[in-house]
Amino acid sequence: MSDKQQKDAPAYMLGSDQRQEWMRDYFFAPRGIGFSEPGIVPLDDAAMSAYNVAKSSYQIHPDVFNMDYLSKAVGLGKNEIVKRLHRLYDEHLIMFVMNPATQVYGWGLYYWLVKLKENTPRETKAKLSEWYQNKDDICTGYECSGDFDYFNGNHMRVLDNLLADVIEPWKNNPEIEFVHLCPIRRDIRESNVNMWDAPGDSYRELFWGKDQLEKLAKIQDKMDLTDLKIIQALNTKKPMEELFDFKVLADISGLDPKEMLAGIKDVVENKRILVPLFHLNFMKLGLTNHAYVIRLFQTIPSYRKAQIADELSRIPELNNVVEFTDSLYDISVWAYNEISDTKALKEKLNSYSEIEDIKEADIYRQFRRWVCRMDDQNGFWEECVFTDDFLQDRTVKDGIKCSMARKEEE
Amino acid sequence: MKISAPRQYVVDNLKYALSPSSIAVVGASRYSTKVGYKVIEGLKNWGYKGTIYPVNPRAEKIHGLKAYKTVMDIPGEVDLVFVAVPAHLVKMVLEHAVAKKAKMTVIATSAFKEIGRGDLQNRLTQFCRDNKLPLIGPNLVGMGSPYLNFNCGFIPYLPIKGPVAMISQSGANLLAALGTSQTSHFGMSFFVGLGNKADVDFAEFVAYGAKDPNTKCISTYIEGLDSPEAYVKACQSVVREKPVVAIKVGGSKIGVKAAFAHTASENEGTDDAYYDKIFEKAGAIRAGTWQEFLDISLALGMQPELKSDNVVMITNGGGSGLLACDHFERVGMPLTELKDISPSLIQKIRAYMPMFGSPLNPVDIAGTASPIQYKGAFRQALRDPNVDGVIGSICPTAVTDVPAVTDIAIEIYETYKHLGKPFIMECQGGGECNESIMKLRDHGIPAYPTPEQAVNAMVALRKYAKIKKMIG
Repeated sequence: MSDKQQKDAPAYMLGSDQRQEWMRDYFFAPRGIGFSEPGIVPLDDAAMSAYNVAKSSYQIHPDVFNMDYLSKAVGLGKNEIVKRLHRLYDEHLIMFVMNPATQVYGWGLYYWLVKLKENTPRETKAKLSEWYQNKDDICTGYECSGDFDYFNGNHMRVLDNLLADVIEPWKNNPEIEFVHLCPIRRDIRESNVNMWDAPGDSYRELFWGKDQLEKLAKIQDKMDLTDLKIIQALNTKKPMEELFDFKVLADISGLDPKEMLAGIKDVVENKRILVPLFHLNFMKLGLTNHAYVIRLFQTIPSYRKAQIADELSRIPELNNVVEFTDSLYDISVWAYNEISDTKALKEKLNSYSEIEDIKEADIYRQFRRWVCRMDDQNGFWEECVFTDDFLQDRTVKDGIKCSMARKEEE
Repeated sequence: MKISAPRQYVVDNLKYALSPSSIAVVGASRYSTKVGYKVIEGLKNWGYKGTIYPVNPRAEKIHGLKAYKTVMDIPGEVDLVFVAVPAHLVKMVLEHAVAKKAKMTVIATSAFKEIGRGDLQNRLTQFCRDNKLPLIGPNLVGMGSPYLNFNCGFIPYLPIKGPVAMISQSGANLLAALGTSQTSHFGMSFFVGLGNKADVDFAEFVAYGAKDPNTKCISTYIEGLDSPEAYVKACQSVVREKPVVAIKVGGSKIGVKAAFAHTASENEGTDDAYYDKIFEKAGAIRAGTWQEFLDISLALGMQPELKSDNVVMITNGGGSGLLACDHFERVGMPLTELKDISPSLIQKIRAYMPMFGSPLNPVDIAGTASPIQYKGAFRQALRDPNVDGVIGSICPTAVTDVPAVTDIAIEIYETYKHLGKPFIMECQGGGECNESIMKLRDHGIPAYPTPEQAVNAMVALRKYAKIKKMIG
């Protein structure tokens, strides 16, 4: 590298020795702003091609996934697997998605609980849900009943933007009893798959509890056990070579299979900034989530809080596990009502003397899965709307906003 | 990829790009803010009468229309496949288009040669050529024709009907021209953004323009010619019948790099002189600036060639006359004094000017000129056998009835256009002048807000006459 190049080049890269150098100087990890943080891979980068080709074409080409691996894993012929994946997609039972490490990209990930006042008419809640469904600035959302009515989420770079443009409309609503902001400290598990913040080396490990898949196969008639095992095999941690068929990806795209493999391996396995996974449409499968939102005594030291979150993440029945920061609540864990012993889970939670309070709600509707819309009833299944506040100032009421936001306000 | 001459199968199929009976929009979106939605919205809003097939493997319906998973799933015939999906899916879509026996494909998608994926772009192009499926793009904004109410792409405007075929490598400048068309009544016959022009080249659209009955002038905005030989051949076969205008950009030191980053145009090793020679050989008239490009295109589309240098300018403003005659000299075609063009015309024209007017050339019929005086002066000049072209100029003095003079100009033009002499107007002033320009343009008279623009237009008509004479 020339002197000039050295001068121009970033001094560190994610997950590299250079980053360790950074950590010697600072107590905090580098945080990406835009896509310029050294080591970050933009979501449309060539290194992402394998995922992007698969994401865009699996609906008509399920063979983008490694059929040799799947065939061995589930003991079925390749054609049968392709046929099943076709059907599962066409019936909107599955969606191939990914979780990008938001902290790497410089976003904050925020959830918030919304409770409506007692005796709020059902129609009012329905209206709020409809508004919510079409509010593209909100990237994740669940309708619930219990101690809270909505469990919502956003990724945002600027907290003020979230407060002004997304939270405020909720808070100002006369029907609202409370809104509690719960910024994510660690995203440990999502859709049964461990994320980058999972303890030890359990990144990308898949968890289903004992007999959960068998029970799930029995309680509904949309997916049989074989279907579920195909999805399980796809979500199980494995090298990228086993997830995708790079020859098929190359046939579809014309891109070089070796380059695609090298790129996605680096992103997923080395840099650990992306988790590709299949999301189950739990609503169609007749499942409801039971969410426990846990408040620890505020005198509990941070290390213990992290330990508790880690311990809970070892419970395989929990499909989602997140840890919050700077909020009234500290941890949220979810389990499917229909295939889990939720009483036993509650007992387990209550066995922690550090837990001060647990709010509970049943989740029966999901609006979006991150930026992908889930409402196939409105004809928007898998329509993706990227919601980001980069370059925007949403605190200015008449300011320039993304087109989606502006349209919503009109 | 290079071609040595316009390919006949491509030229024949271009009608499906501009007048298709059916269009598959691949990448059609359910979201009203996305390009894939806007394309269909544009087609419908501008009055496209053919069949639209949205293609999206995720959707059942888009814009109220049944959506199909792939082009191959479409039940009817597909003339045009419009591709608005990410680059990594284009290969698959092209394979589907070939399997469906589509007649034409247009790729709006970016991220090919311009970002270093030249190999991929070439392989896709070769695939299309092997299967005789002409490909326009990639990296383009769209195309259309006001005569067919056809606006296909992510283009907010449909130009007004007119004589100029606008073939542009730049989407942004094409959009600028389309916007100008609406606000300045710059009429077009058809328009297309070529983008990276991986397959279909300028040459083929030039050849198509020759066949298009609505096209009177073919205008080409060029960032780089990959196939100069084909361009020259196409122009040479066309310019006897229709003029070709060219503007070449990206020749400056940094422009070379910018043009590559924009439309993957390779300009290394070329310079202005290189392109001068190409245009000269082709018989294309080169414009230096964007404004000149539009101005001379309009004139060449509306008016016949100027057979000699004998141009008479008639104005009620001595100042605008001076600006014009200086500019004539600057661009190498100085005005000839009226006495040297036609001595008898001086006396005839004096009847239509006050004593303080000037029958030199420009002819200054003075700021008090009435519509009657304009009418007489225009008529005398146009009817004089020694005069081959007239520039009329209106300066809005307190006594000038701009609308009435405008009507006179239109009447005179209609009466004498059979003589085959160019008639150009200049109207330099405020709102009433702008209205006058629009009205004149609507009646086929190239009209401009400055004398220099009018002069450039007249000079281009002279150049065209010389080109025709040279080509024989």
